[in-house]
Amino acid sequence: MSSILQVRQAVPAVLAGSQPVVRDDAGSLQYLTFSLNSEMFAVGILNVKEIIEYGGLTQVPMMPAFIRGVINLRGAVVPVIDLSARFANETTRISKRTCIVIMEVVEGEVRHDIGIMVDMVSEVLEIPAADIEPPPSFGARIRADFIDGMGKVAGKFVILLNIAKVLSTEEISTLAAVYPGDARNPHLDG
Amino acid sequence: MDELTATFIDESRTLLAAMEGGLLQLEQADAGDDNVGGIFRAAHTIKGGAGVIECRFIEAFTHIVENVLDRVRAGDIPVSPGLVSVMLACCDHIGALLGVLVAGQPAPPQEVAAEGDALRAQLGQWGDDDGQAADCADGSTVPLSEAVTASGGGVVSSDAWHISVRFGTDVLRMGMDPLSFLRYLTTLGEIVTIETLADAMPDAAEMDAESCYLGFEIRFQTRAGKAEIERVFDFCRDDCALHILPPQSKCSDYLQLIQELPEDAMRLGEILVRIGALTQAELDAGLAAQAQPTSVEFDGDESGARAPLGEILVGQQAVRQEVVDAAVLKQATVKDRKIAESRMVRIQADKLDQLIDLVGELVISGASTHLFAQRSGLSELMESTSVLSRLVESIRDAALQLRMVQIGETFNRFNRVVRDASRELGKDIRLAITGGDTELDKSVVEKLGDPLMHLVRNAVDHGIEPAAVRAERGKPHQGTVRLNAYHDSGSIVIEVGDDGGGLAIERIRAKAIARGLIAEDAVMSGAEISNLIFEAGFSTAEQVTNLSGRGVGMDVVRRDIQALRGTIEVRSTEGVGAAFCIRLPLTLAIIDGFLVGVGSATYVVPLDSVVECIELQETTTGRNYLNLRGEVLPFVRLREMFEIGGDVPARQNVVVVQHAGQKAGLVVDRLLGEFQTVIKPLGALFQHLRGIGGSTILGSGEVALILDVPALLALVTSAEEKLVSPAPSRGRPSGTPDSQHLILQPSE
Repeated sequence: MSSILQVRQAVPAVLAGSQPVVRDDAGSLQYLTFSLNSEMFAVGILNVKEIIEYGGLTQVPMMPAFIRGVINLRGAVVPVIDLSARFANETTRISKRTCIVIMEVVEGEVRHDIGIMVDMVSEVLEIPAADIEPPPSFGARIRADFIDGMGKVAGKFVILLNIAKVLSTEEISTLAAVYPGDARNPHLDG
Repeated sequence: MDELTATFIDESRTLLAAMEGGLLQLEQADAGDDNVGGIFRAAHTIKGGAGVIECRFIEAFTHIVENVLDRVRAGDIPVSPGLVSVMLACCDHIGALLGVLVAGQPAPPQEVAAEGDALRAQLGQWGDDDGQAADCADGSTVPLSEAVTASGGGVVSSDAWHISVRFGTDVLRMGMDPLSFLRYLTTLGEIVTIETLADAMPDAAEMDAESCYLGFEIRFQTRAGKAEIERVFDFCRDDCALHILPPQSKCSDYLQLIQELPEDAMRLGEILVRIGALTQAELDAGLAAQAQPTSVEFDGDESGARAPLGEILVGQQAVRQEVVDAAVLKQATVKDRKIAESRMVRIQADKLDQLIDLVGELVISGASTHLFAQRSGLSELMESTSVLSRLVESIRDAALQLRMVQIGETFNRFNRVVRDASRELGKDIRLAITGGDTELDKSVVEKLGDPLMHLVRNAVDHGIEPAAVRAERGKPHQGTVRLNAYHDSGSIVIEVGDDGGGLAIERIRAKAIARGLIAEDAVMSGAEISNLIFEAGFSTAEQVTNLSGRGVGMDVVRRDIQALRGTIEVRSTEGVGAAFCIRLPLTLAIIDGFLVGVGSATYVVPLDSVVECIELQETTTGRNYLNLRGEVLPFVRLREMFEIGGDVPARQNVVVVQHAGQKAGLVVDRLLGEFQTVIKPLGALFQHLRGIGGSTILGSGEVALILDVPALLALVTSAEEKLVSPAPSRGRPSGTPDSQHLILQPSE
């Protein structure tokens, strides 16, 4: 799976610029679905810049485990987040199908590219607004604000992620700051 | 903000800086014509630009400034310190007005406007007075029937059109009102000054109420051409005498005009002076030049200043070659200057950054191509890639060169700082600038302003002694602050020196001991003690004479310099002076690094902090220090610090790094050699990460992290302090986690 499909923003211009996961009464939206720990998740396709094969990762020390490191994306250094670890599960095990989905996150007026690690990318789906349920108040075992809604696809629920929350640079960098990197080196004193 | 406005603001700031520089030069008795002319041109260009973007408040204020400057240029106003001070204040005010424009406000806020009014009032003393003085001196002035002065103020520079119009007697009968022409004229531009001439008016008995006897002399500012102005008077063209002189016409043109018009030449000349078409000096000079070849009787006696008005009649037919020559020469210089200016191209900074980024990419991909070529073993391919990489390197150097600016501009800003500060303190201080043409990266220059400002102010404030003390020490009355810059082996060195009192070593030592920065019995050289002033917490709590600045300590200066990957140190001789020496890399975009490997990871250590590399001799004590030729060298195991897994190789190496005079070791697996690399910032996600300064992309396409040595050492120190918390070792206070402690311990 080398540098596979390049999903560019091929969505009606009406929707461009608005929040990608806004539930519009009239239309349906396109989502990229992927699996993580054999569970299905989806993100709005407007956020997705490209999908690349996992590899070439450089670990960044003294950061929380869910920040797996950085990759060289055609000359730009892009951080990679382990989604599973971000949801307070185990870190993702690397397999042949592990991918990095490069997402564009807009915060204020700044755009960041952030990669997310997923077990396997499935497909691009159109989910009608009518088929999207509000997130459950508990039971998903994922922070409620990370979930934008529950999409019904072929009789199953797909968790639609609120990528702005999941990849909030502000939150992540704050988490990284309080990461106990200072006091944890007992070996320093011998 | 539209592009035009942005360009105007950008240009105006440059011009203001030039104006300020010129004014400061002017003050130093360097009243060359070029200089005054340059100041005037700067003000004039700002005014013109403000007109183009229709920013009235800047235009109006600059207009007044320009008028005064014009009179200075003409020699009407002598250059005085007072004048320069007011002019400098005016520069500041124009800068403030530009700020208002940048902020997008339609009019200056209250306090700015008040400041402007105050300056206007101050400028008033050089404004109209001279014009009126010229009138009165003549004595024969006919009272004016009417004088309308536009909002711009009384005296006007020679850059406006001059329109002389004498309406025919039948104009009114033909149903035309002269006033309507004038009103229409104002739609094209601004009537700066207007004089109504009623000289043609006959005695009351003979006067016909239906006839028009009026004429007007108008100073008119517009961007319209001559044809357009003529069109205004189209309807009465046949019935009036119209003379239009373009801006900056030669003196002779005016003289010719004077002769052509029906009124008495003396009166006309004086009117022209009053409305600002000509300055008295210009008129005098023109007439004097005209008088010489023809008028034998005129011997230039005491009546010379006034007499030339009468000389017009004498010298009507004279060839005014000198005036014409001078004017032609002047025009030629202006033209030359324009050509020189057009050789410069203004580029937006982000376009340049983009280019540099791309060149950085080129360097990286070039390196990887070279790597593959080497692996392939094809000698022809290798040869061609090495030619390619040489070219790429030249391109990179050229691209980086584009960002280089001379430091002189930054230095020149301090002329003003030194001038103002020394006045405030009642000291006589000269700023000596050398090496202003030394070039360095624009981004470095921009961030250098604050620390330099601090150092210069310190030198003026605390370095240079009061005059009495200087006299006692046998120093010249005038103190000197020096700014110097030069290149030194791949870095740039900037020195801020003074011939003042120097640092009081004993006092610093006492202070450092009191603050617990050094042990009481520490043996330190004078230089080491001097450099203690950069320590955090040294001067913040209490102002120490001779050293401290305005509530900000020297540690802030050092932090600023370190943020630029530079170093600062001080050399001082008590009683003779002090010199701060800042050493900076030429650019922030590219770093000379030393590549090291730990496990599978690769890190870059900035080469300027690497001292040497040694093999690690495993000790049995388990403590993290080693004996480096008799010196205690504390070290950090990167493998442990960065929690890198994998087996520890049999042979490990220590990279000895130096920071702020203190050495430390970094234990790594492999040494991979030097590497010149383009720095890539790590982005917002890692903004709180300490110890890693950035990243770079290796020839293999892999990302390598760049270690931030000072931060890394600070991190280790504070981590260790926390662990051994009640640590009374070596008599320094605990609980103040700071990098300085590790660095400061004197090697006893």
